[in-house]
Amino acid sequence: MKVSIQAVAVWGKIAPSHSITAIMITDDQQTIVTGSQEGQICLWDLSSELKISSKEILFGHTASVTCLAKARDFEKQPYVVSAAENGEMCVWNVASGQSVENTKLPYRHTAICYYHCSFRMTGEGWLLCCGEYQDVLIIDAKTLSVLHTLTSSQSSDWINCMCIVHSTRIQEDSLVAVSVAGELKVWDLSSSLNSIQERESVYEKESKSLDCINCQAIRFCTYTERLLLVVSSTCWQVYDYCDFSLLCTEFCKSGQCFAGGAVLAAYRLIIWTEDGHSYIYQLLNSGLSKSIYPADGKVLKETVYPHLLCSAGVKENKSFPFVMGFMNERKEPFYKVLFSGEASGRITLWHVPDVPVSTFDGSPKEIPITATWTLQDNFDKHHSMSEGIIDHLCASEDGNESAPISSSVYIPSLDKLVCGCENGKIFVTLALKTARARLLENIYLLKDNLPYKVLNGHSSRVTCLLYPHDKSARFDPSWLLSGGQDSVVICWDIFTGEILHQFTLQSGPVTELLRPPENYRLKDHSIVCCVCRDHSVAILHLQERVCLLHARKHLFPVKMIKFDPVENLLIVGCEDDSVYIWEIETGTLERHETGETAKAILTSIEDSEYLMAGALLPISQDSKRRKDTAYKPSSSYKHGMVSYNLTHTEKTSDKLTDTGHIQQSFTVLPVKTKWNNVNFHVLLFDPGRLVELLLSSQLNGLKSSDSFHEYDTLQRAKSTAEKRSLTLKRNKTAGSICLLDGQVNTVCANQVHRDNNAVRPLEESGGMKRQKKMKSSRKGRMQPPGNTDVNITNTAKLLLSCLLPWGVDKEIDNLCVTYLGILKLQCPVSFGLVSNENHISLMLPGWNCTDHGVLEEHAVINLFSKRVLDLSNKYLSATEGQTEKKDGPGNNIHGSQGSETVFLLSRIALINRIVNMSLEVTSEMESPQKSESVHNKWRNVEAISSSFPSFYADLSSNKSRSHSPDFGNISLMKLIFCWSDQSIKNIEAIQAVLLAEVQRTMKTLRKTAVCREPLPILENGNVSVLKHDKSSNSANFQDAEDTPDTCVLEESESPDDMKPHPWISKVCSCKVC
Amino acid sequence: MAAAMASAAERAVLEEEFKWLLQEEVHAVLKQLQDILKEASHRFALPVSGSEGTIKQENFVLSTSGTDQVKGVLTLQGDALCQADISLKMPRNNQLLHFAFREDKQWKLQQIQDARNHVNQAIYLLMNRDVNYQFKTGSEVLKLMDAVMLQLTRARNRLTTPATLTLPEIASSGLTKMFTPALPPDILVNFYINLNKLCLTVYQLHVLQPSTTKNFKPAGGSVLHNPGAMFEFGNQRYEVSHVHKVECVVPWLNDALVFFTVSLQLCQQLKDKISIFSSYWNYRPY
Repeated sequence: MKVSIQAVAVWGKIAPSHSITAIMITDDQQTIVTGSQEGQICLWDLSSELKISSKEILFGHTASVTCLAKARDFEKQPYVVSAAENGEMCVWNVASGQSVENTKLPYRHTAICYYHCSFRMTGEGWLLCCGEYQDVLIIDAKTLSVLHTLTSSQSSDWINCMCIVHSTRIQEDSLVAVSVAGELKVWDLSSSLNSIQERESVYEKESKSLDCINCQAIRFCTYTERLLLVVSSTCWQVYDYCDFSLLCTEFCKSGQCFAGGAVLAAYRLIIWTEDGHSYIYQLLNSGLSKSIYPADGKVLKETVYPHLLCSAGVKENKSFPFVMGFMNERKEPFYKVLFSGEASGRITLWHVPDVPVSTFDGSPKEIPITATWTLQDNFDKHHSMSEGIIDHLCASEDGNESAPISSSVYIPSLDKLVCGCENGKIFVTLALKTARARLLENIYLLKDNLPYKVLNGHSSRVTCLLYPHDKSARFDPSWLLSGGQDSVVICWDIFTGEILHQFTLQSGPVTELLRPPENYRLKDHSIVCCVCRDHSVAILHLQERVCLLHARKHLFPVKMIKFDPVENLLIVGCEDDSVYIWEIETGTLERHETGETAKAILTSIEDSEYLMAGALLPISQDSKRRKDTAYKPSSSYKHGMVSYNLTHTEKTSDKLTDTGHIQQSFTVLPVKTKWNNVNFHVLLFDPGRLVELLLSSQLNGLKSSDSFHEYDTLQRAKSTAEKRSLTLKRNKTAGSICLLDGQVNTVCANQVHRDNNAVRPLEESGGMKRQKKMKSSRKGRMQPPGNTDVNITNTAKLLLSCLLPWGVDKEIDNLCVTYLGILKLQCPVSFGLVSNENHISLMLPGWNCTDHGVLEEHAVINLFSKRVLDLSNKYLSATEGQTEKKDGPGNNIHGSQGSETVFLLSRIALINRIVNMSLEVTSEMESPQKSESVHNKWRNVEAISSSFPSFYADLSSNKSRSHSPDFGNISLMKLIFCWSDQSIKNIEAIQAVLLAEVQRTMKTLRKTAVCREPLPILENGNVSVLKHDKSSNSANFQDAEDTPDTCVLEESESPDDMKPHPWISKVCSCKVC
Repeated sequence: MAAAMASAAERAVLEEEFKWLLQEEVHAVLKQLQDILKEASHRFALPVSGSEGTIKQENFVLSTSGTDQVKGVLTLQGDALCQADISLKMPRNNQLLHFAFREDKQWKLQQIQDARNHVNQAIYLLMNRDVNYQFKTGSEVLKLMDAVMLQLTRARNRLTTPATLTLPEIASSGLTKMFTPALPPDILVNFYINLNKLCLTVYQLHVLQPSTTKNFKPAGGSVLHNPGAMFEFGNQRYEVSHVHKVECVVPWLNDALVFFTVSLQLCQQLKDKISIFSSYWNYRPY
């Protein structure tokens, strides 16, 4: 299901670790793509001057990335496919960072080649994969499903490396591969297209045993169309492609291992080693010319010998192993680039000269390093953007040295963010306010008023935190647990900050704190589990403050913890697949099993809930159950949490009944990295949800407010009520649109997708009911509504602050700050793009510098790309028709801060939805008949729009103010569809629309302000003062006070209300409450 | 108590110890691992630099203790079954059937090949860091150990978990076409490795008539199907009437499994040793 969530990343000072395991440069030489052992993929911007800067990090894989390859004709679609150690595959759009398609197959790939034969193939082409399985798999590049295999008739084995041979001379595309045992195999591709499509067996055309094991690379020389380079770890060899006769062999120096190679030019090769060195050789003719003796029919081969021309290499900071690649020039501005990635995360580039020559005395020439960069360099360079979420608090606490956050937890019900630091301190702050203080300008005001608590108890790094009440009401809401490097678990009172109890475990750092499953109640006690570095598991009783059991016999890290409620047993599954069964009451080890028995034991209690140690821990039980238990959750980042939070919006309603926290439109997602324990946070906003909450809170606020301006109130209440019902309706329509999608696109071949569509409306409507129910229940609970309301408006404003491109027009900025109460950003924010439940991409600090030209003006911050300005102009002209009507009777005059915010937010939500929808349409429309697809798509759009009038009602409801929805909305929709055709990113679209809308609003506001301002001054001299007050204090009030009156204050802030002093409103509200 | 409390002298000693661990101990363990794994790899009789003929052929007699309905003599050469003689006593008429592999055919035991390849990958990973290589950080060692352990776990799992196949998959595998005389259509055979045992299962089928009143329910994938399992193959419905399973211990597979377990423990111990030091420097990525 598509969720329209806006994500903003707040990084820390230390970059997440990124041990590069795979590297490639895209065909346009603008992006370097790296895959890491941690599972993330990083996109680096490569400028035309060969400067590197990290741009974006893509989360999605839960295991180490094994290989990367392009997945489409790059000029048409900038797609790259990645494969992971656990069989996951994902296709990414490297221009936008979106995950286009993903799957999990039971194959581990080590190399992928993209193959597309335009005139004889339907579809988007094939991914030819090899890896830890026999022979070669053919996977559809679009759907990522296995199409067929290329099989060996004899000695079939794993394939180590392969390359596609495409040559005009031979008139046949072939796949040349070398197996683990050193068997060279050739499969015909173009002539077996048909049999592959008919699923007939395809056997190799040729098979020959080469005398080399551990083959690392095989390359065909396209210049001579004759030579074949085979690189194994001990030597490299050149073969004649015609008959596979050996032409030359060169062994490596002792202590080095060859890792790969490429063909530079005719008879010129580049070979690189595992330790980051590379050598350029010229193949020289040995003097024996190629001639044929017809008499004996033998072909005397021309033999060659290599001559070393140049070498390149890294001098220091070596971290094993290197993955390298070579990118040859294509057209004029392109370079010959040799690139390498290290396990430490460093990228190094060498610009290889077009004609490499040796030095005069014949010794090899050293090619200097052209550029080198790491993630950390980016973080250091843009340190204001990479400031952690509570760094300013740490700084004020400990002077200038701020300790990095080592663990953190977000408590939605209290809107609290708890961060444990490297130095043992734990900070408890209010999440929203902290985020505001971190992101917005005007810091001093916000920072000084930021309430926070410091818990001092641990002597060294806080390794894990747990707030057990969050998921299970049987825990006391004041309990907060923290585990430290010092092997101590402390139970805190989160409200007072005092230590309730301190458990000293003496078994190494505490690695995990876990809450046992809901159905497991040890005589209705509140217990938690605690996993330590020495692989021991402790069961802590929080009420009685004792350690019930400390199970210490495990030889391997704990992978899984289960409880048997009937027998009162603790079942611990370890990483070596052995199982330990402990009796909780007596603390004795009852059984230790390995192998099949262990597996049987673990699966037999599948039904009872379990805990899984490792990365997936913090996810909700629902999503955990969905995970395949057979796979070890070796994810390095706790990315699983993403799925939790995203499903949160759907799922909370169940939990709502027992825990009673309100559905969140704003969440903070703490993410921990694998090797260096760095924590960063992702702020997630749900604009659609925010709009709903804002509208309903306005309604509530009005109801509770005095009948001061009776007429006005009534009218507004009515209109908001209308709006609300419309938003509800919108939800319904959203569901049916999906259904419609499915119906319209019955052409589409993607069965799975359609199935999804069919299921979706059901879910949606289910969710609707729940939402309704919840809404009504919340209304009852929302007394007093003030606190939440302030939070919601602040959230909304924070979101707008993050999204607005600041500094485009000074005047607009100022107007935004004064009239809308949207504060300026302190520095550009790192946007995130949520593709689906498990795939998210986050911009890295310094992303804004990669877009050429934006940097020039320092005043402009947060503008995503220059294109946004053009887009926003286009948008303005496209929706011109509406503007005049909007200026009509008194709409903007009533436009208080609140409704303006609502309007802008609803716009965002709308754009988000249209973009997502169009993406879905596009993905479904990518039918074999590519040329027609655009046309089809338009028809599709028309179909949707014509057959669905209520969608327009919906659109208009979102606009909330426009009176003539029809023309404007269709054009708007077309415009945005058009944008997503041009691969304009979601965030660009949002920024453009936002900018345009703000511009427009401000224009009208300025007009009204000009014509209205003299009047109040005549009537009441206070007003201008009040206005001034309001603008400067708005932040103040909303931040510093949690009292319910701020809400009413806000309501009364429209210029009409004419209150002489804000305190009057306070009095009013006090009467109400 | 960790670093915060440690005195400067203590710190210096710890640092010295960690240095020793990285420079001396790690290499010692890696050497030990290499030796063990090479020993394991020898068990798989990897042809050394392509000299194919050197692999030893071993004969195994497969039987069950109770009945002698199925007997098999299998010849294993590395990862391939190069000869197989199966005699089957039909339960109905006590007729003795005899099949053998065709001369030109070999059957690759995928599990052994995969396990062998995984071990070789692990050895390759270890060999890359020879004695001259200097480990500078602990995480480097941890990453290496993780990679090695992944390969070893996979190697072990390949041997301990035979593929679960459906009956149509068994019927359509090339195995049925390898025998002379050809297998009768109502007999299916399957070979696999389970832990240290080489197993042979023979399924006797009977055709389900289309008019049968029995509820047809195709069986899913399984290592060993039970009598009564039904499937459809080539427009014909079958039911398994008898299942015979015979097995034989392959001693070197047992050795290999022991080697895997020992080296996995060695790896984990090295990881634990490195991790202990992580407590002492808080601000440094260890």
